[in-house]
Amino acid sequence: MDEVTLYHWEPNANSGKPMLALMEKGVPFTSHYIDMLQFDQHKPEYLAINPQGTIPAMTHSADGQKRVLTESTAIMEYVNDRFAGPDLMPADAQDRWRVRWWMKFMDQWLGPSFSMIGWSVFVGPMVRQRDPAELDAAIERIPLPERRVAWRKAISGDFSAAEMAESRRRVSLGIARLEEELGKRPYVGSNQYTLADINIFNSTYSLPLSQPDLAGKDKTPNIMRWLKRVYTRDAVKKTWAMGKTDLANRYGLIMAEIEG
Amino acid sequence: MSAILYHGEPNGASLTVLAALAESGLAIECRHIDLLGGERHAIAGIADPVARDLGIEGEGPVLVAGGEAMTESVFLAQYFDEAAGGAGLQPADAHARWEMMMWCRQITERLSPAAALLGNMANAQEAIAAIPDDTFAALTASIVSDDLRERWQALHDGVIDAAQIADSEAKVAAAVDRCEKQLGDGREWLMGTFSIADLVTWSWLAGMQPLQPAAFADAPLTQAWIVRTGARPSVQAALARATVPDPLRAWAPGPEINRWG
Ligand SMILES: N[C@@H](CCC(=O)N[C@@H](CS)C(=O)NCC(=O)O)C(=O)O
Repeated sequence: MDEVTLYHWEPNANSGKPMLALMEKGVPFTSHYIDMLQFDQHKPEYLAINPQGTIPAMTHSADGQKRVLTESTAIMEYVNDRFAGPDLMPADAQDRWRVRWWMKFMDQWLGPSFSMIGWSVFVGPMVRQRDPAELDAAIERIPLPERRVAWRKAISGDFSAAEMAESRRRVSLGIARLEEELGKRPYVGSNQYTLADINIFNSTYSLPLSQPDLAGKDKTPNIMRWLKRVYTRDAVKKTWAMGKTDLANRYGLIMAEIEG
Repeated sequence: MSAILYHGEPNGASLTVLAALAESGLAIECRHIDLLGGERHAIAGIADPVARDLGIEGEGPVLVAGGEAMTESVFLAQYFDEAAGGAGLQPADAHARWEMMMWCRQITERLSPAAALLGNMANAQEAIAAIPDDTFAALTASIVSDDLRERWQALHDGVIDAAQIADSEAKVAAAVDRCEKQLGDGREWLMGTFSIADLVTWSWLAGMQPLQPAAFADAPLTQAWIVRTGARPSVQAALARATVPDPLRAWAPGPEINRWG
């Protein structure tokens, strides 16, 4: 029997990608919640699964073999290839190329800018008030050196004005290009719901709330139409019901905003 | 298929795509462009330029198909493989395919920017710095992406910080280490069977051998794999498109170095 276990945080950004892909495919999985704000991802139990100390990770046992998979976008592709259920990649080769292009654009260009802003306004303030010695020890346990730097910056609010400005530039440009893309086609990169929609939705679902100057009914009608189409999918509702923090509450607010 | 592949000298991203095209057997017209002359930003007949303008690979090749600019060497290689109905460049098993995509992502995220920086510093920086100011201003004005334009500017001004060079050298050495481990069980190709992973890795690593010989000194399996991959007819066909004597020394501004984790 196939056994899938997913190690994830909130249905958001990278964690949300395999959650949504598994839900869309109808693959049952054991959920293992990793509390990112408690640094669960750097604890020995989790490092035994993913030594990089980043989430998500997935294990899949089948045919007497247990495999560990990491990298959220690549996990989604595996889930889509390996399991029955609706195909989350288009059939046409140029559409497939476009889906992959948009995922890379999000994963490696736009996404890091969203997360820099998210870490400075949300993640940093959430953990900052804890005991400094305890935080120091937590940071020392992070395996990736570049992540140690990132966490230190988030906690001390040390992002430079120049890097924040560059992140804001990218977010603004990325939203404008996404708006154009969704004027060409109903979904990102193709005419059907694919991994690119899952990927990009996970980082843009809250735009009308978090970036009201850049996104909303008047400024980005195509994005708003697309968000509504994605919001109403069963797999999205089921996945969001797995959220444990205040983010889940935000989903409701955005839903109201979109439907209103 | 009415598509045209615009490519630079066969090295880095252009080399991957030219070799993948040869492996696929598709008949697509190839046109050489002068990347250091800024020709990538002046290709005619593009109705939909977003992937050319916001691609993150830097001065990589551009496939124009149905008026749409298509970029990113790994995805173009997959596109050729799939458009040809499966040319054997991607493993059939889902897990092996996941491993290949992971490998390619790590190569393009870590090795490519590092190799591009070192390659440009050694072989292109002088030429870029020598571009007369008015020509350079016109060239950079045609680049849509602010961050790509900044990478050109940094090479033009010769302001590359020493920490970035050291980091890039470490990343090249780390990539060689990974290859050596991967080949440790005596396999012929990185994923077991030949795949896009071999093409992508070779395209960024082969030109590093003369620049960073120490990184390869204790890596006999990697050295043998470099010879083996370089001898493939598809790689030979790609290299034969060179218009310069040593294409592995031909570089142009490449992918950006990760700015966040
Ligand atoms: N490229 C990886 C990145 C994974 C990643 O960075 N995840 C974030 C959460 S969205 C994380 O683990 N952050 C916590 C940390 O670095 O400590 C992927 O797509 O899976």
